[in-house]
Amino acid sequence: MYYKLTMEDKVRVPPNRLGEDLSDVILDVLQEQLEGSIDKEVGIFIAVTRVLEIGDGEIVPGDGAVYYGVTFEGLVLRLSLQEVIEGVVVEATSFGSFISLGPIDAMLHVSQISDEYINYDEKNGRLICQDSNRYIAVGDPVRARVVTLSLNEREPRDSKIGLTMRQAGLGSLTWLEEDRLAEKEQKSGGS
Amino acid sequence: MQQYTRYEKSRIVGARALQISMGAPILIQTTSIDPLEIALEEFDKGMVPITVKRKK
Repeated sequence: MYYKLTMEDKVRVPPNRLGEDLSDVILDVLQEQLEGSIDKEVGIFIAVTRVLEIGDGEIVPGDGAVYYGVTFEGLVLRLSLQEVIEGVVVEATSFGSFISLGPIDAMLHVSQISDEYINYDEKNGRLICQDSNRYIAVGDPVRARVVTLSLNEREPRDSKIGLTMRQAGLGSLTWLEEDRLAEKEQKSGGS
Repeated sequence: MQQYTRYEKSRIVGARALQISMGAPILIQTTSIDPLEIALEEFDKGMVPITVKRKK
């Protein structure tokens, strides 16, 4: 889920930028430092939107920079286990597909796409269910559930997020739409 | 202007000189190019934007 948070931190303002407008510099420094980074407690930082409060500056021995205690507002994505999310397929491989959740990609393993056997169509980059002939391809929007979360704070690119779609109500949005129509038809046909 | 002890003065001038040497904008007109001399000159004119937090 996405959160808009108010956070506090100490910000180092380098001496060569002391002449500029303080809140601009602090916003710059925070954006440079945080955007794209991951904190296990807080989540994945997406944007630092504005600086709310700037405390007194402090000068530490041995460094000419000034350290300010700052309250600021930012947007983060905090994923949790079992969370249902929507994303877009960005890559299909023989072992599964990668789903873009926006700021980060997640992995959807072949075994977690559907209860059916899955074939990999290399030419078209699609993963096809053997019995129903339904498939997912690059660009498809899907709904899935987070089942593994391994976030790497130092190397955000090495973070691993595992998804599953083997559950009622999950899957490619086109499948869900098909299911809904089929159900509707069955109902109207039965009455 | 506030009265500083010689220890406070050395800390302030030292910190300010380091800032200047690291590229901070200077607050006075001067012909000097030595960061320490500039910091001292700023201090004597009371222009250094640094204060001391004293324990009460």
